[in-house]
Amino acid sequence: MSSRIECIFFSEFHPTLGPKITYQVPEEYISRELFDTVQVYIITKPELQNKLITVTAMGKKLIGCPVCIEHKKYSRNALLFNLGLVCDAQTNTCALEPIVKKLSGYLTTLELESSFISNEESKQKLLPIMSTLMEELNATGACTLPIDKSNTIHLKLILLRKEPPIVQEFDVPVFTNCKEHFNKSQWDLTTQQILPYIDGFRHIQKISAEADVELNLVRIAVQNLMYYGVVTLVSIYQYSNVYCTTPKVQSLIDDKSIQEECLNYVTKQGQKRAGLRDVFQLYCGLSPGTTVRDLCSRYSQQLQRVDERRLIQFGLMKSLIRRLQKYPVKVIRDERSRPPRLFTGCHSYDEICCKTGISYQELDERLENDSSIVVCWK
Amino acid sequence: MMLNPSGGLPDDRKSMYSRSPNSVYKTGDKTSPISVILVSSGSRGNKLLFRYPFQRAAECPSSLPAKQRSPYAQNTTGDILEDQDGDSRFSDIILATILATKSDICGKKFELKIDNVRFVGHPTLLQHPPIIQVSKTDPSPKREMPTMILFNVVFALRANADPSVISCMHNLSRRIAIALQHEERRCQYLTREAKLMLAVQDEITTTTETDGSPQSPFRQILPKCKLARDLKEAYDSLCTTGVVRLHINNWLEVSFCLPHKIHRIGGNHIPPEALECSLKAIRPYHALLLLESEKALLSQLPLDCSPAMVRLIKTCSAVKNLQQLAQDTDLALLQIFQIAAHLVYWGKAIIIYPLCENNVYMLSPHANICLYSRLAQHFAQQFPGHDLPTMLAKFSLPVSLAEFRNPLDAPAQEAQLIQMVVWMLQRRLMIQLHTYVCLLVAPNEDEPGLREEDPPLAARVGGRSLSTPSALSFGSPTSSDDMTLTSPSMDNSSAELLPGGDSPLNKRMTETLLASLSEHERQVILNIPAAQNPEDLRMFARLLHYFRGHHHLEEIMYNENMRRSQLKTLFDKFRSVLVVTNHEDPIISIFQSPME
Repeated sequence: MSSRIECIFFSEFHPTLGPKITYQVPEEYISRELFDTVQVYIITKPELQNKLITVTAMGKKLIGCPVCIEHKKYSRNALLFNLGLVCDAQTNTCALEPIVKKLSGYLTTLELESSFISNEESKQKLLPIMSTLMEELNATGACTLPIDKSNTIHLKLILLRKEPPIVQEFDVPVFTNCKEHFNKSQWDLTTQQILPYIDGFRHIQKISAEADVELNLVRIAVQNLMYYGVVTLVSIYQYSNVYCTTPKVQSLIDDKSIQEECLNYVTKQGQKRAGLRDVFQLYCGLSPGTTVRDLCSRYSQQLQRVDERRLIQFGLMKSLIRRLQKYPVKVIRDERSRPPRLFTGCHSYDEICCKTGISYQELDERLENDSSIVVCWK
Repeated sequence: MMLNPSGGLPDDRKSMYSRSPNSVYKTGDKTSPISVILVSSGSRGNKLLFRYPFQRAAECPSSLPAKQRSPYAQNTTGDILEDQDGDSRFSDIILATILATKSDICGKKFELKIDNVRFVGHPTLLQHPPIIQVSKTDPSPKREMPTMILFNVVFALRANADPSVISCMHNLSRRIAIALQHEERRCQYLTREAKLMLAVQDEITTTTETDGSPQSPFRQILPKCKLARDLKEAYDSLCTTGVVRLHINNWLEVSFCLPHKIHRIGGNHIPPEALECSLKAIRPYHALLLLESEKALLSQLPLDCSPAMVRLIKTCSAVKNLQQLAQDTDLALLQIFQIAAHLVYWGKAIIIYPLCENNVYMLSPHANICLYSRLAQHFAQQFPGHDLPTMLAKFSLPVSLAEFRNPLDAPAQEAQLIQMVVWMLQRRLMIQLHTYVCLLVAPNEDEPGLREEDPPLAARVGGRSLSTPSALSFGSPTSSDDMTLTSPSMDNSSAELLPGGDSPLNKRMTETLLASLSEHERQVILNIPAAQNPEDLRMFARLLHYFRGHHHLEEIMYNENMRRSQLKTLFDKFRSVLVVTNHEDPIISIFQSPME
């Protein structure tokens, strides 16, 4: 989703003519009517100065940050100007706002240091600067432009992404793309330290122990990697796990690219590529009540060329299947017994095992013998 | 056989919104407005007539304590505090200047973002009031009536609000504007209210100058001005329930609902676009499940509502599909679709597959199964002697309702079971699983060249359009589609094949249908022992276009007028080329588990 800049304009308050557009690139983009309608948001009252203002009118969005510099040397004792961008009204302009703010900061600095704007000669340099800015930002999303001997403008469009979910200690991070395509040196030291331990099978607690990094730091680092789409989360792999299909499993049939990716990913090393029918049957064989162990024994023929661990991993990453977690709930029978702390239906087996250190089988045995506890799968 | 399950339910819908202690979530911060503002522009210049809330932060309802956040999560508490002050940083005068726009952008959506506050409204032009004729005998000088040229009802939102929330707020602003414009033309309602508001403001300003004690003029306006109270009510409703119902000048009704507040499951809301998509895909075999009791729902309807709606609410039930509902209420199917969509949009009902004993249900992944939740409490009150977790545990693995039937049970127990199932469906605790089947032939090992080049069946078999007519949009009926829907099997089934007999005609038809398959696939199918039976082969060929994994068993049953046992036997006979799986129907499962 790129935000294309349609026009860059420089507007100021002329001592006799009032608010006007001094320069705009491309020429004549902002019509007279448009400017008349929005000028109150471009050259503003003092209360709105230094604020990022985005106004939508006549099918266009104008983003600007009005600046006011007060000094006796200016006629009317103040210099009012605004360097803004114009986009189409439908564009999402969140990424452009920091750029506008930064530009207003740059111009303010230039004016204070060397009267860049109030001096008519140097003001003319604005026009080529604006052209270059627009071209480069639209083309690459970044721009580095020296203005004069001591000032350079550095701008970059930063896309805002969705907030990543909280990472729990029993979650397992897995790389969404090949690990080799990764430039380790670009990341912080903590991330670099845990990277070798991210293999799609180790969970956060284990990574923390083996990499010797504090648990919360690992969680933050992985959350950061998730924000940039580098890793995604799956659940711990055990042969006793139960999975079921989601409606998205049909995309394996409909979408050729997912098909290719899947077959390449799940084929055992050194074997001929697995067949679509076998893989699809395996996924469809996953259902509530069937553990991975059951699947392996039932579909041993289909599994000849398929690595079941990678099969599950791929299915979880692409949401073709989902994990069914067990939640124990202590159904209160006795008034006098203590209220349950972990068996409330809010904590899964994975979480309980991780937090208390008991193994899955042990927990199972313990709970099976307790008649006051029911287990829900979801 | 089954009793009507929708009787006497308490309206405990709010319990659906209780969050488990683990989730760290801000309630409706992004979907609630920060404030509502009314400005006008006219001969007296730009004026801010009213704004609410008029005090900083103290009255802001969305200030949740941040103590549940884990220490490492991205820290946005700074932003929240700032946001609360966001609107009140702007003085009345500056708001009047920026929100009372020029007349050339009237009649369109107005959007202005300043730092972290986004203003959205619909500035509206007023016609000039009729010229007051002054009689020639009247000696008093002609007084100039202050005229209002335009006004704007503006909602201030947080800047990071969803675009769909912004357009919903704009919609509300437009509706209020239309009502106000109408009332202004009829009896100068807006001018009168504006005069009142300005008079109070002037009064307060003069008393402040003499006393020196700052007071908010808007607080004094509230008791005197109906319009101010209406705007306050709109703001309060938007922040809480999301349902706004105003009576402008005690005459015109303005009603509005914010889907983001109404359709929430767990902490997520169902995006309105997904909702609309889902509603366009409902089929005559779906059923409408009311989320409130019939009585409660009927009492909420306005006096002048359509009698068709009343009839529908009285007749609908969880076991009746929309087709039957159309017949029972004597309404056209398309009309039933529209009313159903309307009820779903307003959060009063959801679409399900009608209850029957073969339905297979399972716990929804988003169900709140916490022992101490309000849901558990309500369940215990509603069904004494039973507790929710035990019931939920029974549905942990997919189970059909038939499995619960015990011939030794009293019929009352069976009825109670149905009631419990309905209760759980209404509270989005369960999803229904359907069987989907897909044709996948094992590749020919001897000819590797042909293997992956065949595009999957889904791409080759064109398939008929099996969806609801596209005329179903929010609003416009098309009568021609009405006719085809009354007998759905005609339009969608492959009834061209004559039943019975091994006539050459039938044989040709079967061959034509199988022609869409590749040579290899055809051979494999014809080699199956069951294919030697011409009846079975014909049925298989006829249903070929359903085997793409997108049509579930019940849909095939409905379209082709077949029994479940027939289909299951067919699937079994051809199991070497078919792959069967069970999962929820993505179209209606949106009501139980919003899409990730």
